[in-house]
Amino acid sequence: MNPLLPVVTNVLFWVAAMCLVAGVAIIGPRRLYGVGGNLVPYLRESRREVAVLLAVLVVSGVGRPALQSVSEVFGLRLTGAILALEGDFVAWLQGTFQSPRLTLYFSSVYVFGYAFLLVFPFIAYAALPNSTTLKRLIVAYTLNYAIGLVLYTVVLAYGPRNVMPDAVTSLLYTFNPNFQTLTGEVNVETNVFPSLHTSLSVTVATFAALTREEYPAWTPIAWWIAGSVVVSTMYLGIHWLTDVVFGTALALGCVYAAYWYVDPNEGGGVDDSESDDSESDDSESDDSEPESGETNA
Amino acid sequence: MTRRISRRGALAGIGLAVGSAGCAGRARNIAGREGSSQLVLKIRTTPADEDPNGIRIARSLAENLAAVGIDARVETMNGTDLHRTVLLNHDFDVYVGQYTEVLPFDPDVLYGLTHSRFTAEAGWQNPFGFTDLDVDDLLEKQRAAGGPDRPEVVSELQRSVCEKQPFTVVAFPDALAAARTDRFVGWEMGPPISASGLLGMDYVDEGTEDDGEPVTLRLATTDGRISVNRNPIAAEYRRYGTFMSMLYDRLAIADDGTSVPWLARGWEWLGPETLELELRESTWHDGEPLTAADVAFTYAFLRDTSMGNAESPVPAPQFRGRGSIVKSALPVDDSTVRLVVDETDETVAERALQVPILPKHVWSERAEPATVGGFEFDIETTEALVTANENPVGSGPVRFVESTPGERVVFERNPDHFLVRDGSADAGSVDDDESTEDAGSDGNRTDSATEDGGGGSVPERFLGKPAFDRLEVAIVGSDVEAVQWVADGYADGTASNLGPDSVPRIGRESDTRLVSTRSAAFYYVGYNARRAPLSNPRFRGIVASLLDKATVVDDAFAGYARPASTPLAASTEWVPDDLEWDADRDADPVHPFRGEDGSVDVAEAREAFREIGYRFDESDRLLARDQ
Repeated sequence: MNPLLPVVTNVLFWVAAMCLVAGVAIIGPRRLYGVGGNLVPYLRESRREVAVLLAVLVVSGVGRPALQSVSEVFGLRLTGAILALEGDFVAWLQGTFQSPRLTLYFSSVYVFGYAFLLVFPFIAYAALPNSTTLKRLIVAYTLNYAIGLVLYTVVLAYGPRNVMPDAVTSLLYTFNPNFQTLTGEVNVETNVFPSLHTSLSVTVATFAALTREEYPAWTPIAWWIAGSVVVSTMYLGIHWLTDVVFGTALALGCVYAAYWYVDPNEGGGVDDSESDDSESDDSESDDSEPESGETNA
Repeated sequence: MTRRISRRGALAGIGLAVGSAGCAGRARNIAGREGSSQLVLKIRTTPADEDPNGIRIARSLAENLAAVGIDARVETMNGTDLHRTVLLNHDFDVYVGQYTEVLPFDPDVLYGLTHSRFTAEAGWQNPFGFTDLDVDDLLEKQRAAGGPDRPEVVSELQRSVCEKQPFTVVAFPDALAAARTDRFVGWEMGPPISASGLLGMDYVDEGTEDDGEPVTLRLATTDGRISVNRNPIAAEYRRYGTFMSMLYDRLAIADDGTSVPWLARGWEWLGPETLELELRESTWHDGEPLTAADVAFTYAFLRDTSMGNAESPVPAPQFRGRGSIVKSALPVDDSTVRLVVDETDETVAERALQVPILPKHVWSERAEPATVGGFEFDIETTEALVTANENPVGSGPVRFVESTPGERVVFERNPDHFLVRDGSADAGSVDDDESTEDAGSDGNRTDSATEDGGGGSVPERFLGKPAFDRLEVAIVGSDVEAVQWVADGYADGTASNLGPDSVPRIGRESDTRLVSTRSAAFYYVGYNARRAPLSNPRFRGIVASLLDKATVVDDAFAGYARPASTPLAASTEWVPDDLEWDADRDADPVHPFRGEDGSVDVAEAREAFREIGYRFDESDRLLARDQ
């Protein structure tokens, strides 16, 4: 028996609650209702992308011990180089701003906010009248994970909390040690470069900016949460600034690649003529758009 | 020619210079000289999650070295990697580690750690590559010296080692643990990181768990190595050897500073060089009987794991120091074995009895050269050294059940072990499966310790033990998480080091107690004496004086440690007055810290380096020959 189940249940509960509230507020009840009908056909349309994403997740889940061994034998040990590059930035950040309230805020954002940030776009983009954006999101997530996995194997580095415990406190885990049981299931302590928390959050934020026509209210929310997640990775002593910078670059590259790969000629939204195949969908989305705007206002 | 040009500039000029014949020779004379550049020292240690103290020592030392002008870099790596690079490959400059024995030990430990005969071997035997004729001589003398003469030799030996600093002893930590006492008591009897601590524990029977559920002791540790590798001689996977000592019996164990018979019922000196031991009746976990042949095999095997198959012996990377005391071992009959030792002090010889006895029928097959996919890699490695030994067959009081790498390991009580047998016979209990009985019958057991006494007997507190049916060890991410598991009731105690972030947490949790026992497993800074300038004992001495042990104890250990100068500081009877920690000045008696309250006196330290022949450049960087 271990604390994993209660922690996971807790996270699932809060993410579900946040998705529900945000779904009603941002997507709007009517479009949200459409998710049920859209989801299966959309996923069928993107079955190749979904299969690849699942494959990457399975490799990451099952193959991690093996890749970790490879990393330990052949990996580049970059902890020292990163430390030499950026010095005591994380220590300064934590030392300057640390307060119990901020620790509470950033810990919550790092665990709950991040999970919500990753899940919600799936629902939001499944509510759109065509599957392009959802497909792009899946491709971008896949690329993030896949490239992240490769870099984790190539680079072996420890985060600030492990390297300079005298200057950087492991705030997340001293705030709630059970979170370490959770993150321990998902990741290994030597996988800090790049920060996938950063790259996936920035990916979502970039999508939010590109689809602001659809969900104007989502853009600032996504940016706020993503920004907080990015800062939290350093404030909590988990990642280096270097990890964050590379994570951001990785995110932008992945979004660019996803747009290039999926319907390159189509813009960010659903207003393009191509999506007019199903008239009923289109009219519905036309209806709901001002409505969702009102809900948000 | 007073204006200096850089070496690179000089090299660039060679092209022109060779044009004129006279100048060519001169250019070669200048450019052909190796240059000097700033000394780089890499300090290796484990990350904070794995061990919260070592990294703090490394950081503190690195900071002071940097202040003086040495480019000191801390490199973190997990325990397996650290041991592999340091102990097996000798590929390191400086590292921060912890010694492996938790209970106070005999001075003969230094034989394994510092004797020059071991420098070429891989493992815990002299990983520093330290070679010193005087120390070698004293090491031999302390082995041979009989009773009354030995203390003086040991004092001399310590003085010599402390002066020459093959490694710098930093501090003796308190073995800290977070523990709940609602199910198990006796945590303070011995550290829960030691086998004797775990075996000595008692179960609190409240009658609530009598529903057929096995009585389970649950521990949380940050050291996941036991979940992937259970090879008792694989140095890179072992820390204190706690669980190994419970899986594999030893002939004798250390208890209160003396050797007490364990797997051996007792022993007798047949002459100054021959020791005859009588074994207890015992079986291996796979049902095979344990015989004198297994004991004889073990000593031969530790000396050469190839059993003569390789061109030169492939010694075991652990237990070599004490194994080397035994010259040969011969079975007399199934339960009697004779050990031949050099003329040796009796207490030293008895230390040789504290090695894990291995089953011949399992390990003799592992004397082959190690292969990967059928290919031989390296003639110096045998299967025995690289096998993960996933299903360990020992004879100890617990046996292995199952494990999930990185998550948990489960052991169970061995009902056939002599502790259970003797314990239940003694307590007059008929039903020896009922372990709750054992805990309850504690009072009945005080009169006679054991019937098969012989030369000595198993201490009473171990009889009928272990008090648990199952031992579950959960692998967690950090010391803080381990403490929280105990606080939340997912574990009964922690079994790895606790740092300054986790200790205060114990106080805040109502059901959790801080258990503190003294540990002999000192933290130290090890130097690779094979590499210049660390090969210079004077240089090492100054490096040692740049570590403020008193401040490290306050900051890194939150006070739960004692600074020390000699590795024998936990065995106080051996420490001469002049090597005791100077309590008045709070300073090391041999290499006191050059500075005050953690901040180093840079000018004085540089002067010390200059005095022993080192130079600094114009930016005050300490220069060393390019390697």
